[in-house]
Parts: sequence; C-alpha cells; structure tokens
Amino acid sequence: MSELKETLKAQIIEQLNLENLTVADIKDDQPLFGDELGLDSIDALEFIVLLEQNYGLKISNPSEGKDIFHSVNTLAAFIEKNKN
Amino acid sequence: MFYIHSISSISHQLSFQSDGFSEKLFVLDDTSSLEVPDFKDILPPTALRRLSPILKISLTTALECRNKKEFDAIVVGTALGCLQDTEKFLNTIRTSTSETLSPTAFIQSTHNTIGGQISLFLKNHAYNMTHTQNALSFEIALIDAITLLKEGNNNVLVGAADEKIELLEKLRNSIIRSKYPLTSLATFFNLKNDQIENGIVIKDVTVNLNSTIQLGDFIDSFLEKNGIQFNEILKVYHSDCEFINGENTMNYLPYTGLNYSASALATHMAYDELSHNGKGLILIVNNICNNDFGLTLIEKC
Repeated sequence: MSELKETLKAQIIEQLNLENLTVADIKDDQPLFGDELGLDSIDALEFIVLLEQNYGLKISNPSEGKDIFHSVNTLAAFIEKNKN
Repeated sequence: MFYIHSISSISHQLSFQSDGFSEKLFVLDDTSSLEVPDFKDILPPTALRRLSPILKISLTTALECRNKKEFDAIVVGTALGCLQDTEKFLNTIRTSTSETLSPTAFIQSTHNTIGGQISLFLKNHAYNMTHTQNALSFEIALIDAITLLKEGNNNVLVGAADEKIELLEKLRNSIIRSKYPLTSLATFFNLKNDQIENGIVIKDVTVNLNSTIQLGDFIDSFLEKNGIQFNEILKVYHSDCEFINGENTMNYLPYTGLNYSASALATHMAYDELSHNGKGLILIVNNICNNDFGLTLIEKC
C-alpha cells in the first residue's frame, strides 16, 4: 500500500505538472483540494484520466469523486478495492 | 483618434517593462529566445503550472495594461492560436489507448483560450473576441477594437500573440519559407477615446485580403483617405517589402522574427520610438502573407 501511495504521488506531480513539489511534500492524509495544493475542478478531471490510464479504473458515479479524490489515502484505498 | 494608454510586449527583444527598447533592438537569429520576466512574481501557482508559454506571455502583457476600470472589451488577434497545447492534444488523441483524454491541453488548445484566460483572470465578463486571419489577425482585432470605441465603449484591451513550436521549425523549409528566425511574442495595449496630452494614437488601420491591387497603390489610397502625403511620414516600418527602402524605413522582421503577430510588436516599437523622438507619423506595413496587406498609422499628437 505504501508503495502504491508513493507511486500515486509521483503520478499526481507529473499529471498535474506540480513541478515545485516532490513526493515527500505530499502527505498521505493531506486534502488534495483546497488551499494547500491549490487544485481545482480541472485537476479533478485529470485525476479521472490518471486512474483510467494507469489503473484501468473508471469513476462510474461522478458524485463519488469528491470522496475518492480527497487524499492520497482515499485514492489508494479506491485503487486497492477495485483492482482486478 | 484612439489613444494608447498603456502597452506591453514580451518577445525575443528586451521589450518587457523596458521603456526605450526600440533604440536597443538587435537582429535575431536561430539561437534567439523569448526574453521573459520571472512569471512567479506575476502569475498565480495554478497558472504557472498549467499555462503554456503563449498563455503566460499573453496574460502577463495583458495584466500590464490594466487600469482601475474594468475593460469594456477584450479583443485578441492570433493566427495559429495555442499551438503547443494543440499539438499536445492531437498527439494524445493519436497515441492514447484509453477512453479519456487529459482535459487541460484540450481546454487550452483553442484560439480563443488567450482571450478567455485574460477574461477569467480579470473576472471580466465584457465582450471577448478572438480574430484569426493569418498575418492580419492583429489588424483585424485592431479594427474591431476601434469599431467598439466608435460605438461608445471607452476602455478596450487589444493585442495579438503567436508562438513558435518545434513542428513549425520542421516545416520551415517546406510550407514556411523565410530567411528570418521563427519567434514567439505577445503584445497588448489599452486603447481609449480619452485624450492624453502629447499622447500616441492609432490614427487609422486597414486591411486588404487577397488583394488584386498593388501594395503601393493600396498605401497611396490609404494615405489619401487620411489626407497625408508620403513625405509627411516620419518613418515606415515594413515586413521586408522590396520597394520600400531608404533612410526613413525599417524592415522590422529581422527584429521581430517571423511571427504572424509581428506587426503588433512593430506597433509597440513605433510607439516606443515616437515616445522618445518627438512628434510625427509612423506607417506600419504588413505584407507577411503575399497578397494580404495590413496598414496601421500611428501618430504622436
């Protein structure tokens, strides 16, 4: 699980072009949306792309997105729960 | 008479926040690069990580032209639009095996992204228009801006931007034939009806698309319409026009590089020159595209 979280952080940095951040800068339970990282609705769309391209996962119910994308912890849990 | 209240350019010249840059122009070559400010001091983190170079330079120059009042209109000319994001998006379509595509490049790949980003950043909900007409995109945008001022608006942001990408370099000896280096640039200015003492104005602008008349005849009729003799003009800036030569003429392409918005930067050069060298008229001749002519007359009152 911790390896997955580290991989996710690296993928988030690359996908969202967060070039000023390193993997160590993103805490597992840190809210991804809000003031700290400054992510917005377009970034949420990028998360959907990231999940499909890297893990083959689709968000079937868009209203679930807010909870799934809350933090690296919730993203990793979603991937673990739904992976084949 | 339409007064230029503020003007800003980012280009391969030292044009940004550099009063008098027209006296320090240097001939560009293939190693020349964009002379950019530190965007971290100007743009928010979201814009820094998301915007492509053409959007960063357009937004930065547009912000330089802000005044206390909200713009009545934002008018942009661009021939090729946001090329870097267009190429990125098309490549993603070509190579992606998944059903979903990254939204950022798609959102930012349209021509009107430039005007849209300026509007979003300024929270401006006024008229927002993008004109694309090859190398005359700037002149068409300027005609629109002047029309808006004639209709009673009084605070218009107008400008032009185009960017160089590697793909254009690859096409340079086939589709694009030019001895001048390809460049990126953005120029924006705030145009108003409000007079400024000893101010600099856009006196007139015109275009002729797919012209069947000679450029010389077109210039003559333009000057006649404005009641001006050719010898009254202080200087003519032109885009490598063979028959325009002599002491008071300047081919601007060695300094702007080949860029379909080059005449917008030439307008800033003319503004800068008039600011420092007394009164007079400068005629900017744009014939980058063979039979499409653009003429802009700029005057210091």
